[in-house]
Amino acid sequence: MTGRWPAIGVSAVLFAALIVLAVIAPEFLSEANLDLKEFGPAAVPPFGADDRGRPLWELAAQGARVVALPSVVAGLVVGLFAAAGGLIRSMDLRWADSAVAAFGEVVGALPRMVVILIVALLLPRDWRGLFPLAATWALLSAPGAMDEAAAVAERLGGARFVEALRAHGYSSWRIFVVHVVAFNLRPVIVRQAAEVTMQVVFLEISLSYLATSNDDPSFTHPDSVRSWADILHLGYRALAFDAPYMHALVLGLGLVALVAGTTIGISRAARAR
Amino acid sequence: MARNPAWMSAGLASLALLGTGASLSYYEEALPTTLNPLFADTMVDRRSQELVFDRLWYHDAITNELKSRIVQRYEVAEGGQALKIHLTPGVKWHNGKGLSSKDICFTVDALLDKGTPSPLAEGYRQILEGCDTQGNSTALVRFTRVFHNPRERLGFAVLPASEFSSTAVTPDLPFGSHPVGTGPFKGTKGRRGANFEAFGNAHHGPALAQLRLSEGQDGSILVRALINNGMQGIVQVPPPNRPELSASDEVALKSYDLRSWWFIALNTNKGPLADKKVRQALNLMLDRTELRKFAIGVEAGDENSPCEFISGPFVQSSPYYNRAVPVVERANMARAEKLLTEAGLSKSGGSWMYKGAKVTFNIGMLATLNAEATDILDQIGNQLGKGGFDRQVDKVRADEWARRVTTGNAQEFDLLIGKWSFGLVEDVNDQFHTRKGGEGKLNIFNYSNPEVDGILGEYAAARTDTAAQDAYHKLHKVLATDLPYLFLWKLDSRSAWRTEVRNNIIAPYYYFTEIDGWKYSK
Amino acid sequence: MARSSRPDPEASLKRWWVRPLVRTVAALALPVAVPLLLTLLLWALPGDPASIVCPPENCTGTEALAERWNLHRGPMHFFSAWMSNAAGGELGNSWRMQAGVPVSDLVKESIPNTLALIGLAFIPILLGTVLAALDAIHRRLDPILHLMGLFPAVILAVIAAAWKVLTYTEFGGETAALFLGAAVLGIADGAFSGAVTGTRSVSSAERRQRYTGVGVLRGETELSNILPNITPALVGQLRARILHLFSGAVVVEVVLKIDGLGDLLWQAALVQDFGVVLPVATVFACFSAILLLAQALAEGGVAVWIRWSPKGVMERAA
Repeated sequence: MTGRWPAIGVSAVLFAALIVLAVIAPEFLSEANLDLKEFGPAAVPPFGADDRGRPLWELAAQGARVVALPSVVAGLVVGLFAAAGGLIRSMDLRWADSAVAAFGEVVGALPRMVVILIVALLLPRDWRGLFPLAATWALLSAPGAMDEAAAVAERLGGARFVEALRAHGYSSWRIFVVHVVAFNLRPVIVRQAAEVTMQVVFLEISLSYLATSNDDPSFTHPDSVRSWADILHLGYRALAFDAPYMHALVLGLGLVALVAGTTIGISRAARAR
Repeated sequence: MARNPAWMSAGLASLALLGTGASLSYYEEALPTTLNPLFADTMVDRRSQELVFDRLWYHDAITNELKSRIVQRYEVAEGGQALKIHLTPGVKWHNGKGLSSKDICFTVDALLDKGTPSPLAEGYRQILEGCDTQGNSTALVRFTRVFHNPRERLGFAVLPASEFSSTAVTPDLPFGSHPVGTGPFKGTKGRRGANFEAFGNAHHGPALAQLRLSEGQDGSILVRALINNGMQGIVQVPPPNRPELSASDEVALKSYDLRSWWFIALNTNKGPLADKKVRQALNLMLDRTELRKFAIGVEAGDENSPCEFISGPFVQSSPYYNRAVPVVERANMARAEKLLTEAGLSKSGGSWMYKGAKVTFNIGMLATLNAEATDILDQIGNQLGKGGFDRQVDKVRADEWARRVTTGNAQEFDLLIGKWSFGLVEDVNDQFHTRKGGEGKLNIFNYSNPEVDGILGEYAAARTDTAAQDAYHKLHKVLATDLPYLFLWKLDSRSAWRTEVRNNIIAPYYYFTEIDGWKYSK
Repeated sequence: MARSSRPDPEASLKRWWVRPLVRTVAALALPVAVPLLLTLLLWALPGDPASIVCPPENCTGTEALAERWNLHRGPMHFFSAWMSNAAGGELGNSWRMQAGVPVSDLVKESIPNTLALIGLAFIPILLGTVLAALDAIHRRLDPILHLMGLFPAVILAVIAAAWKVLTYTEFGGETAALFLGAAVLGIADGAFSGAVTGTRSVSSAERRQRYTGVGVLRGETELSNILPNITPALVGQLRARILHLFSGAVVVEVVLKIDGLGDLLWQAALVQDFGVVLPVATVFACFSAILLLAQALAEGGVAVWIRWSPKGVMERAA
């Protein structure tokens, strides 16, 4: 029990940092400052500047705003699906179980990036953003999460477990919501949700990077906004071409670590009793 | 990063080709979409096709004189409504067959065939009537009416009749990746690039043996590859990378005149922009000097600036440019605000209001322009923001630009930033004429002004260069006041070639017109 | 709500064939379902390839072109025409991406590259699975494995791409790209670490079962006892990992400029070249179907083998 608190604390701090960044993000970036000779954090605190002399914290904050809510919502969606998968197995609803399995096989066989790209191309300009793509990713990830949760529910004993609790006089709500989901499926639900949250952030970085490097309009955010992919692109130039943006690489990787750390912390914190 | 011997090998390999018909490798901004000139969509397409095909007439890169490599002589016929063309003897196609009048007429027929789904061909359908062969090397090309500059209207690439089964040419034929032309090079298009092998001919004698086109990537990679002699040229150097190349002794930066000018189209049918005073106010709100500095890196007063402001729909070197119309180089906020107030807008909390609502402009930009003018969309947005207008900015993909913007179907935008490039004929009728009856095909926001339509009609009816110039001078003046566009600048591109590449004359627009004279030697 | 009666263990035992059957049916349906689904999705895209090439406002011939490309009568007509041509081996030419090039040529040249990429990327995953099944990777290494797996594929691919271009000339380094791409795919996004931890969790759970202890007491090895029981789960995990590799291959091939199916699919989808998108997506679906079939066969085979009584045991019980 005591071992969970450090994990909870770390993930809470990291998640709060992400939310704070998202909240303070400016709507538009500052004016370019082409006279800047030094770009590091010493010249432009706290994180340095980009190749146009704009403070990197603005790009980091805008990127956080792009990913924060959609990734969390996607995680919650997958968590709900996982809970549903576990409950279906606990309730021994075979027809539902078979339907989920069949749906999972077909969905699981789709090349995800292609589906995401086509959804991204489908979106009208007014709807462009990470939300629809995150929702699609969550739907594509749901079968796997449901499968894993169902396997955990089966290891509990399935219907026999439910029967035993019923014999204790517990209500259905208490049996399924509290004992099955909250006490026993919690680790897998939380882990799956946290992983999908992380995957959506990385998906956004991938799509934005591909758009940035081709000078294409973004798939995931309005074009007045920058994402973490722009910071990582600067970092790549530093790594490959000795451009003076190594601080951008550090910041970009730090932001990736922030998300990963949150995911790991939350997963560790949600261990079964 | 340490340089790998692989670069040295590439350099040595390049040296080994000295004097033996050299091979040049160069970067383009993208791969050509097709090598079929009927479906040229991008400037990369046009430049690549220039290597493979001969256009009936072309402009000399130095003297601007109208010339032809495949037409020996010509005569105006049928009272000026036809041109009799006598072909240069001995010209061969890349498949070994001889060029004949049948090919000229096939090309004209393909352009006129409604089964050829080509916007380029659509343009020629307004100009060409038909073609008749008169012997193996004489063709009579007929026009729909008398033009004062008939040869200017025949700038299309000639296609081989022997390679097609019908005059209805579709874009998915193998000809698009394995074309046959009479140009100095035989081309093939692959997935990662295009190869052009020299083809000696009666009218072409290229000194280079081979050209290899590769798609450019990150600007830093282009620069490194060029400086290390892994590649020998970059057709369009991104502005942020020009200083580094300029500083290198092994590379020469050359100007490439795209005959293009940049604009911000205004939706004259929407909201406050329907009022001319609001458009004039926006024109005064833009600080073009600042824009040029931030987006292109050119300071005021720079010598040999590649970026020249314009006040109308022509470049300053054009005979159609009206020098009496001044350029607005700097913002004049006081005058702009006065105009906005006169137009009925009011300022509240720093933001302009129109009919009780805050004015928010939806600004779009052709996405590919960002490579030439970094962050220009943001810069324009910021300037309008400082002027008191809220904004939403979006980049528009090239596909969507072609499908919706140029067809007048992007009315959700208030402002659209774009660029027009003109080839042989600087005809802006399609941009500004009311969209009806086949006119105004490129009228972005369906702008309509009867006075402008009248002037464009005068141009179309002009029988002399002077009459045409007079009409367009009038047009320039009217448009500079009515402002369906905010005219920005003409932006020369810069190419970079290694100094071993000699005599590399870069033709305006088509680039490789004088490729025969290019040499590679130390 | 749950049934009050206890599940019949004998009935459960007899229903062992259901899951493999579901997988087999799904595998047979995939090569048809996926292109159909994609056709419907592509149809919802704004515009169509014919009107992109020849916008009706600026150009005549759009309808003729749409008819040539079977776009004039709705998605089902397009799909059925495409399927019947594809069944006869005729995939047509690319419309826009590589205009005029036969799609079958593009696909044929891409398949070996993608298979090589996936195959090489699968090596570390298989290695991790085997080592974890043998319990040869100590848990102390888990943090390092997790750290390796945290890097998204796109970041590693970009770094690899920069190294490749600077090390080789513009026209070289295809083999290096393949190996780099495989390394990226095999490590990024938790591929290797997931294979290790996933296998370990399944095998360690089986190792703790009583029958394993009993088997060890009889002088048998742990692995020989647990392997039949963990094989279906491991095959399922490996299948999921290979599918993940296929998905990640799209990004890796695009960034590293590997001429594979993923890059072909991406470039074609961007320009709405339906003629290329559908065959490539169908090839992906076929690979998935093969993996599904393999899993179904493994599950079914193990189930049959488990239920095959050893000679002599029944007689003694009787």
